[in-house]
Amino acid sequence: MLNLVTCIKQVPMVSELPWDSKRGTLKREMADGMMNPACKHALEAALLLKNKFSGHITAITMGPPMAEEVLHEAIAMGADRGILLCDPHMAGADTLATSYTLARLIEKECADFDLVLCGCNTTDSETAQVAPQLTEELDVPGVMYVDQFELSDKSLRMQRTVDGFLETLEMELPGLISVSTQQYSPRYASFSGLQEAFNESDIKIYGIKDIGVDPELTGKKGSPTKILDVYSPMANKDNIVLSGSPRNVVEELFKKFDDKIGSAIGKDLKEYE
Amino acid sequence: MDFNPCMKHKIVRKTVREFAEAELGPIAYEIDKDARFPWEVVEKMRPLNFFGLQIPQKYGGAGMDSISYAIVIEEISRVCAAVGLCVTVHNSVGAYPILFFGTEAQKKRYLPPLACGERIGAFCLTESNAGSDAGGVETNAVREGDNYIINGTKIFVTNGGICGTALIFANVETEGIRPDTRVFIIEKDTPGFLVGEIEDLCGMRANPVSSLFLEDCVVPAENILGNSISGLKIGFTALDAGRLGIAAQALGIAQGAFDAAVKYSKERQQFKKPLSSFQTIQNYLADMATEIDAGRLLLYRACSLKDENKPFSAEAAMAKLYCSRVATTVTNQAVQIHGGYGYSKEYDVERFFRDAKVTEIYEGTSEVQRMVISRSILTKLT
Amino acid sequence: MSNNSKKSARDIWVFGDYRNYFQNRVTLQLLARAVDLAPKIDARVCAVVFGNDVDEYIREYIAHGAQKVYVVDHPSLDNYPIETFVKLMEILVDKYSPEIVLIGATSFGREFAPRLAKRLRTGLSADCINLEIDDDGLMVQTAPSFGGNLLAKIVTPETRPQMATVRPGTFQEIPHDDNKKGEVIKTDLPDSLPVERVKVISSVRSQERSQKIEDARVVVCGGRGMGSKKKFKKLFELASILNGEVGATRPVVYSNWVDHDALVGQAGKHVKPQVLFSFGISGAIQHTAAINDAEFIVSVNKNPNAMMMKLADVAIVADANQVCAALIKELKKRIRN
Repeated sequence: MLNLVTCIKQVPMVSELPWDSKRGTLKREMADGMMNPACKHALEAALLLKNKFSGHITAITMGPPMAEEVLHEAIAMGADRGILLCDPHMAGADTLATSYTLARLIEKECADFDLVLCGCNTTDSETAQVAPQLTEELDVPGVMYVDQFELSDKSLRMQRTVDGFLETLEMELPGLISVSTQQYSPRYASFSGLQEAFNESDIKIYGIKDIGVDPELTGKKGSPTKILDVYSPMANKDNIVLSGSPRNVVEELFKKFDDKIGSAIGKDLKEYE
Repeated sequence: MDFNPCMKHKIVRKTVREFAEAELGPIAYEIDKDARFPWEVVEKMRPLNFFGLQIPQKYGGAGMDSISYAIVIEEISRVCAAVGLCVTVHNSVGAYPILFFGTEAQKKRYLPPLACGERIGAFCLTESNAGSDAGGVETNAVREGDNYIINGTKIFVTNGGICGTALIFANVETEGIRPDTRVFIIEKDTPGFLVGEIEDLCGMRANPVSSLFLEDCVVPAENILGNSISGLKIGFTALDAGRLGIAAQALGIAQGAFDAAVKYSKERQQFKKPLSSFQTIQNYLADMATEIDAGRLLLYRACSLKDENKPFSAEAAMAKLYCSRVATTVTNQAVQIHGGYGYSKEYDVERFFRDAKVTEIYEGTSEVQRMVISRSILTKLT
Repeated sequence: MSNNSKKSARDIWVFGDYRNYFQNRVTLQLLARAVDLAPKIDARVCAVVFGNDVDEYIREYIAHGAQKVYVVDHPSLDNYPIETFVKLMEILVDKYSPEIVLIGATSFGREFAPRLAKRLRTGLSADCINLEIDDDGLMVQTAPSFGGNLLAKIVTPETRPQMATVRPGTFQEIPHDDNKKGEVIKTDLPDSLPVERVKVISSVRSQERSQKIEDARVVVCGGRGMGSKKKFKKLFELASILNGEVGATRPVVYSNWVDHDALVGQAGKHVKPQVLFSFGISGAIQHTAAINDAEFIVSVNKNPNAMMMKLADVAIVADANQVCAALIKELKKRIRN
């Protein structure tokens, strides 16, 4: 029976960034949350493993109370239980503090895990750092950006494409992988799955005391990096608006930018009479 | 009374919205234009229990509560009302009557294929002389041994072109007794059961609405829903449930149009300002939001009553009456806010506008809803 | 010797990721940036390279600005065993205490750097698109999020070294100069190295799955505003004249107007052309995340207030199809000349 752990992050579900134009920051509180896509792919990979080899999946996440939603979604898709790490001390964590905290939970609740599966990166902070740092913290072998893998006995064989190399790698479990979005297209949760996830589901919420986490090493306190400022790159663009008949706007465009376009295509676009 | 959505309802909404936007969003315009029913999306919906939303799990459904059901219909309709129509008619008036009135044998036989979407359900009451006057049904069923021979024509059957299991209302003639209405469960491969041409409609065009012809159709007596339950009783009960679905559908159409209007008003500039900075537009948006919210609360109240097994006819009628009117008002307003662009097929609002109107007509016109509501008022014991 | 020399000199280290040397110039780009920043904190620029047979890279790094190069050269390092590399770097950092460590954001770098940062218990920012030194002598890292729609300025005030991975192509390398001199410090492979728990079974250069659109200098993207599959086809004609590639937004791909390969978006390809033409695209965040790196954007849309119009350098308010046709005509005329 495989003991699997999937790490999931709830990220803002934004199709347009709600701008706080005064502070030039993202109004994160306003956005609904969604399961980070790469984490969903990792969960899908875990579900396929569970189907094939008979296994047990613990979905874990760290975040505000609202993050509990992703655990219900994970269970609706087929995970067996969920744990939410939620504590004011844990807020404001960078990847170092996050990986420390997740590791403590895994050691406490899933101590004899076979495989930890993470998404390769998130759509919000996009650092792709939690998975490798978690590997270090747990001191197990780990491979990142895995496109595909097969398991036989306790040996995991993985394929990935990195830096122009097509690699096949192997490691013995227990281990950790971060899953890319190339394969493992996630299933939709069925409604009967969702209904069950709410009828009788095993979801726990833990704070720092429950898992023996040092408050100095978690959250903002445990984060060596500090954010000074957040802003939009849009501010720096010169935005020229042209309107009129198609022929006229095209003429205007070339009058102003024929060299820019020309250099991109390696041709001289000046008008010669 | 907690008016905040619980986590389950939040997640149901999110899940369906994601599905609808990904799978129906890109094709909604095209299937409306070509009046094409999107089988490829229905294939994906089947394993997710879209066709067995409230059917109990033991028959292969998801067994969800009525508010969850309403949310599913609303979110599909917000992107593609024609598919939302297919799903709600199948669930509310196709499968639900069998669940509520069927014998155990009938439930075991007909619910599982409906729940997994293998067969799509249809509700066939309306005829050319029997619209609001449901009692005017002329389709008749004459007993012959263990069977009935059924003759008649049903019109404007939603899902008609694709249904696998149809509930046909017919007058049963028995010698010496006044004809009585019964509901017959008829499957599409039955000889004498013919699908007519698909209607060319103003809206809901991707839904294959058609006539159904029964020509000496031989149906076993055991196919009478509930053995001998009055067809009128089944009809009224089914339509009560159906009204919740249609109200949800109307709400979804209104919400979709509203969301588009809000987005457009923020982007479009005239007189060097976005439309949303003008008080007239702000007033419109405020009114639209309030109406949609009021409709939603009416709907969820009726859903709660149904789940508590309390009478909910009048409340369902109120929800359907109100939500359908909100749909026509809000979509009209949304087109107005879009100005000339709203009249062009390049934008979605004109489709919402066309789709909205029929919600005031089918499954009981707004006039019939008022009949139901006023009867409830006037027959109350004081 | 003055007292100042007792303090270990502040060094900026650049990790030498030499695989794919001709396509991957990020080490040289980082050396150039280090050379810019070094005077501000009185630092020396050093390169660190682990690998097999690395002499030519040592010379390259010196020729491109490294004053010092730390080297571990051994056959077992040939295919970049990650746990070994982390250990070697940890040993060197402990010994020489650099102020700053910069690593190129290749796939390898983006795994190597966080492991190292965790080992050293220090801060790391990812995929940076700028590095500066502020008035307090701290390195300020500009890191993107939400697909580059948002930028953050990050510092590591307390822990050392300050670390960052940097996106290739962010900085410009200094021209090769054979006259430059540098100190080379070779270290033997230590005896006590971790056993690699991850075995590389095979590592082959992948058949370059066509990176055409990701590497294209000109990209022509179309959205729903093009109207129909037939009208969308005209973009291929425009792209062909411009020697460019055609991309599309998600609704277009889902409506089967074009192959899924053409999807430009968070779930598709990222492009970084010199010129991007955007036709009939409103600018949903999933799409703009993938085009933020375009140098020059021309957007054509009937709606002057679509998000794409605000992101563009030139926003043309007109019918996308008509402008596309007019552009084709004008280009044909001018190129013929």
